[in-house]
Amino acid sequence: GATTAYAAPAQPVLDQPITLQVKEERMAAVLAKIESQANVHFQYSRQLIGAGRRVSVNAVGQPLAQLLNQLLEPLQVSYKLVNDGIILRPAVATAGPEAPADATVTGRVVDEKGVGLPGVNVVIKGGSNGTQTDMDGKFTISVPDNTTLVFSFVGYTSQEVVVGTQTTINVALVPDAKALSEVVVVGYGTQRRQDLTGAVARVDGAEIVNQPVQTPTQALQGKVAGVQIISDGTPNSQPKVRIRGTGTLLGGAEPLYVVDGVQTTDIRNLSNADIASIDVLKDASAAAIYGVRGANGVIIVTTKKGALGKPVLSYSGTAGFKQAARLVEMADASQYTSYLKDVSPTTVIPTTTGNTNWYDEILRRGTYQNHNLAVSGANEAVRYYFSGNLLQDDGTVINNKFSRLTVRSNTSFKLSEKVTISSQASFSHADTRDVNIGTAYGNAYRAAPVIPSKLNGLYGNTSAFGNVGNPILDIEKNDIKSLENRLQGNIGLDVRPIEGLTLRSAINVDLNADNRRTYNYQFANNATTFLVTGGNQRNDRSNLGVSQVNAYRYLWENTATYQRNFNDKHNLTLLVGTVTEEGLRTEFSGIRKNVSADPDQWYLNTGDPNTAENNASAAKDRRLSLLGRINYAFNNRYLFTTNLRYDGTSKFNRDERYGFFPSLGLGWVVSEEEFLKGNTTLSYLKLRASFGQLGNDQIPADTYILTADANIPYVFNGTPTLGAAIRQIKDRNVTWETTTEYDAAVEFGLLDQRLTGELTYYDKRTTDALIPVNIPAIFGDPENQYITNAADITNRGVEAALTWRTALGGSPDWSYSLGANVTFNRNRIENLNGGQALFGGANLVTKSDNGVAAGSFFLLDAIGVYQSADEIANSPRSTVGPREIGSLKYADSNGDGVIDLLDRRYFGSYQPPVYYGINGGLNYRNVDFSFVFSGNLNNKVYNAKKQLRTSNTDNVEASFANDRWTASNPSNTNPKAMVPNMPNSTYFLESGSYLRLTNLVLGYTLPTALLERAHLGTVRVFAAAQNVFTVTNYTGFTPELAGGPLDSGIEATTYPTSRTVTLGLNVNFK
Amino acid sequence: CKDFLDVPPQGQLSEDAIRTDPAAAQKLVDGVYNAMYLGGFDADMHGLQFVILTDVASDDSDKGSSPNDYLANAGTVDNFTLTASNGTVNNVWNGYFQGISRANQALDKIPLSPAADQVKNRLLGEVRFLRGYFYFNLVRLFGGVPKLDRVPLASEINSPEFQKRASAADIYAFIISDLQFAVDNLPLKGATQTGRATKAAAQGMLAKVYLYQKNYQKAYELTNEIITGKSGAYALLPNYADIWRTAGANSSESLFEVQTGVNAACNNSAVNLYSVSQGPRSGGKGGWADLGFGFNTPTQQAADAYEPNDVRRAGTIIFIQPTAPAGQRSTGTVLWDGFRIPSKDSVENFRYSYKAYHSRTKEPNCGNNDYLPKNIRVLRYGEILLINAEAALQTGNAAAATTNLNAVRTRAGLGPKPATLANIWQERRVELALEHDRFFDLVRQESVQPGMIVPLFAAQGKTFTKGKNELFPIPQPQIDLSGNQLTQNPGY
Repeated sequence: GATTAYAAPAQPVLDQPITLQVKEERMAAVLAKIESQANVHFQYSRQLIGAGRRVSVNAVGQPLAQLLNQLLEPLQVSYKLVNDGIILRPAVATAGPEAPADATVTGRVVDEKGVGLPGVNVVIKGGSNGTQTDMDGKFTISVPDNTTLVFSFVGYTSQEVVVGTQTTINVALVPDAKALSEVVVVGYGTQRRQDLTGAVARVDGAEIVNQPVQTPTQALQGKVAGVQIISDGTPNSQPKVRIRGTGTLLGGAEPLYVVDGVQTTDIRNLSNADIASIDVLKDASAAAIYGVRGANGVIIVTTKKGALGKPVLSYSGTAGFKQAARLVEMADASQYTSYLKDVSPTTVIPTTTGNTNWYDEILRRGTYQNHNLAVSGANEAVRYYFSGNLLQDDGTVINNKFSRLTVRSNTSFKLSEKVTISSQASFSHADTRDVNIGTAYGNAYRAAPVIPSKLNGLYGNTSAFGNVGNPILDIEKNDIKSLENRLQGNIGLDVRPIEGLTLRSAINVDLNADNRRTYNYQFANNATTFLVTGGNQRNDRSNLGVSQVNAYRYLWENTATYQRNFNDKHNLTLLVGTVTEEGLRTEFSGIRKNVSADPDQWYLNTGDPNTAENNASAAKDRRLSLLGRINYAFNNRYLFTTNLRYDGTSKFNRDERYGFFPSLGLGWVVSEEEFLKGNTTLSYLKLRASFGQLGNDQIPADTYILTADANIPYVFNGTPTLGAAIRQIKDRNVTWETTTEYDAAVEFGLLDQRLTGELTYYDKRTTDALIPVNIPAIFGDPENQYITNAADITNRGVEAALTWRTALGGSPDWSYSLGANVTFNRNRIENLNGGQALFGGANLVTKSDNGVAAGSFFLLDAIGVYQSADEIANSPRSTVGPREIGSLKYADSNGDGVIDLLDRRYFGSYQPPVYYGINGGLNYRNVDFSFVFSGNLNNKVYNAKKQLRTSNTDNVEASFANDRWTASNPSNTNPKAMVPNMPNSTYFLESGSYLRLTNLVLGYTLPTALLERAHLGTVRVFAAAQNVFTVTNYTGFTPELAGGPLDSGIEATTYPTSRTVTLGLNVNFK
Repeated sequence: CKDFLDVPPQGQLSEDAIRTDPAAAQKLVDGVYNAMYLGGFDADMHGLQFVILTDVASDDSDKGSSPNDYLANAGTVDNFTLTASNGTVNNVWNGYFQGISRANQALDKIPLSPAADQVKNRLLGEVRFLRGYFYFNLVRLFGGVPKLDRVPLASEINSPEFQKRASAADIYAFIISDLQFAVDNLPLKGATQTGRATKAAAQGMLAKVYLYQKNYQKAYELTNEIITGKSGAYALLPNYADIWRTAGANSSESLFEVQTGVNAACNNSAVNLYSVSQGPRSGGKGGWADLGFGFNTPTQQAADAYEPNDVRRAGTIIFIQPTAPAGQRSTGTVLWDGFRIPSKDSVENFRYSYKAYHSRTKEPNCGNNDYLPKNIRVLRYGEILLINAEAALQTGNAAAATTNLNAVRTRAGLGPKPATLANIWQERRVELALEHDRFFDLVRQESVQPGMIVPLFAAQGKTFTKGKNELFPIPQPQIDLSGNQLTQNPGY
């Protein structure tokens, strides 16, 4: 029961020896020092215990209890050890004879989940009398008439309640996510939010674990201004992240992830339940400490650690279903037949009574479940957190499967007052059954609905009729499986030789082993496979391919941090360090043919040795860096931060490989000034500005080194002889891509922090961007391109975030919050090398040139449909398509009297000029409810699947079959038929604007009384839905389309985004 | 600290390795030969796309395949409606410059080799022979082209020195200097591995270049060296049709061939798609496993160009039998290896190239039809005799001309003819049909004796525009990439 827990504190905590010598320091600061030394957490109200008072302490190896007694007794403060800390409150004795009271009010204070909050200060407004809640959050207080009670607790928004005639007052406090005292992770250290001069956003672990998504990255969607998350529905796919626009054109457009100090590019191995918080470093000033790796922003993931007290076992889990969120309706058999008879009268259509919906055939409702069991705790010497996680996500396409097991161990050992060893490690094992979705999905779009799908084990022969593969067969005759093992972790040694100085040395590793096996069944286009014979969908010989990737990356970090507070006015932190990094990735692959169809035989040795092929590749890189940082705050008002980083990389030649990347940030906490202090209307105001530079070297390891490919055969004397060839052109002088960013922001809190917000302007310019530049064929490079520093990219924008958080109508039962964030971004390319534009995307549909956004759609303008012979006669001739009645009409944009490819123009890009998120929460007693919306405005999506046709017999969308141009329906938007080789035009371009209800959660926390008998701490059940609905004019599967910088927003054969509905359970056992 | 960041490329030869490995220079030279395998639907040196620009463009053959297949790329070449955005033209441009780039890289690195000078000179000779041959095809296809006589630095990529076209005369001078170096430094046949460039190959190629330059004296002298046996033993192969079979590979008639074979992976020891793209194609009622895509179908005029009893007609063209009348059983066409092609009702076209045919049953192959090991006969003794005959005639040596012309006719089973220019040219047509020479030859002959080429194509319903169609357009993407430093050929 609760009383047992209350009465059984881990007494050794109070025996910890403390060494502390301070003179006339504020009590809060002293308590903080004790906290860090003793690994305890004090809970108190500054106001109630008078934490602003100055105190002196002179303790050398004194037990904590003794020290606290010495310190607190004269101040008339008492302390109580509880499970997760030490509660400080005014000593009972000091209350003295109680003030004349008219009434005694009792009640209970709970947190957002309905759990009783101990240690909450309950104060009569305008006076100093008050009390604190007990372990169950209960309180009793005597109040005079016309009293207003103020409930306050660190980390929560204060609430005021008018007592009136009530004798029972129950209050739910809402966490203050923007709490100014909140400590955020800034890389090689932490900082109070109030002291930040850069742009850092935090998302709490609780917000992530509520969402039935596979990777924590996806859970960030809509949560943070300036951060765009684009995910697709493929199980275990990695969402694309764009922090403040697309800053580069090569692979390194993704942010750096740092998991407990391990730098990585992929966090799909993490269990969401293990995450304590995620901090996003958005601007160059904040990210500069990561120098070479941080140019596209940094996402810092901190995993959970044990809290002081006995072991706590907790379970969290969800289970549910997922299905394709939105489908495109294709023409059915009768629509298709009448369409085809019209556009291709000579085609002989098979007479079947069937009507196949190919999407229905390859899609299904998949299951999703995620279970996490963790045990954690700490005593004065050891802090631990262990967890196991099992995730299963089968996706929405038949045969697709994904499961992952993750085991985590986070520990720290305090060897002495001066030495701590800590380690965080996670091992994950992922098992994926992939499907050939690109082929199958493209074929499902094009396959004729008059062909049966599969009957009695025989496939409908779509290929014999329409030269389109049967999509079910595409999936079932190819078996692709991968097993991935990943170990990610670190071990670190912290030494504190003198007060304020911490020396840390840590080794971080990321090990990855990926085994992939592809088996292609043998099958012929005959009657044992198909209902009708013929066609070219066949595989004469079975094929087994295996590949193994082994990779490691280690970072050895050595840092020294010195933190000092002088005269209670000057707060100084100095950091210097070195980082040494090496990565090696090796790949081995082998192929054999004629392997038995028995899965137990799918090993290379069983294949025909005469068909054996093997291959290998490797890449190795190193980096060496020096880093330094100065944080200085004067009087909590004037803030100064500078980061200096000197990076060397193996990816550039000796003369180019070192880069120096500085940053500077300034801040002014205006609300700390006398003229604003105590103002509750404008309770917080801070101005900050920063400048910073960052480098990017994320290009292949040997980009600057001329290499020859070996084993190039030619036949001499009748025998193949192996030669070599230098084929690729390399730019020996490739060097740093540099991002320079300016950032200015105002942060504010209004109405006693009920309304908080932030408005930021940023100007980010990437110069010497590393780009694969197309070069003329005369240089003989097989890809006709090489990587060089060839463009500038600018991203300018404004981010705004606003949060309202309060109780509803002063009632203790209700509280709610509402937040919105919006980002306006403008992306432009400038100074392209030699003025040479970059083309990208399917059918080269995008062109990135000076003055336009990266990946801009470059298209003919489809201005209508030819309606008459007269109209054709009066329009310019065309080299890009027929001019027939009922065919698309393109604009002669350059007015040269001929419609040709020179008439292509820019029509926007996938990069949204505006993207936003809206989130909110509502708590009523034990019930919690939250939602997240996210979306884009005014960007464009190219519906390429409509265009990618190979034959007239390819199916069309039902809407097209109905609305196309016919003599009786003279449409001026849709042509009479979709034909192969239609040029890139605005006919396929659609609006990418959308509003999506990304996440919806409804939870209920069981009342404590019920649980005590079951020996449970807390139990919460919840229902969550992901991707509930989308409001958009886009006609394809989803307007959320991941892609590279030059080919985003093109829907060709994308995996359908899925809607997930789950039930979840969180339990803490006692 | 600097050493820590010097990370050599993993699993690839770097420049340093070439400096120290005595075999590296040889390997780089062999890598240049490999470029000749480029084909398929990408960069191309001797594949289907080269065949399109040489045979299909000529009066000897049509596009073939089914009527709509590859229309934009090949059909427009066939009927002279192609534009600068034609993909085939761009792919062949790409292929040849890839070969030239590999040659320049090898020439750049051979001097670094620790090998003996004599070895290095032979290696340089082989590479310069190949570069000269590559440029010879380029200048015939496009006229003056950018002259890459060394490896450009990355910083020189936009330099006018490389981007602008050299004149055709400059390119010819460059070719002649390469081939002359090869003549001076290459060993005789037999003194080097079969398949490597030899002195005779270089002499023959140089003679052909001089023929295009109308330097008949030099062409005569060089071919005479070969005919008189000073450059090795060469002779006509008695059975004409055997020349294109495995049995006739590297025969006494061969001066230079693209060597092919079978490697373990079966994917890169032959010209991609060369044979299968020209194989007879199923059509009509089908019903048989066909031999290929059916491109490059000989024209009726080509079939009719042969005199009666000329053995070369049957050795050059696969004739498909007409559909048998109702009630009669069709015989079909039985090829030399016994393969039976059904009659026209099951075949797309009436005629196919026999010279490109590779037997799946009687000749080596590894089951991958895309890489059937068919050697491409680039230069053979039959042509040397005809070059010599033409050069001799033009320099007033009618006796030599007659001897060599009739040597070719005798092997074809025909009686002698007087050595007139018209007779020699007619002999070139039937002797070298479908050997990727006819289009170039027509353009060359027109420059010697104008007035023939337009009516020749008009007879096939095609409009050859003089002053334009002698050359192919410079690919538009290449003009764009050069920032318009490359200029277009007239008329495009």
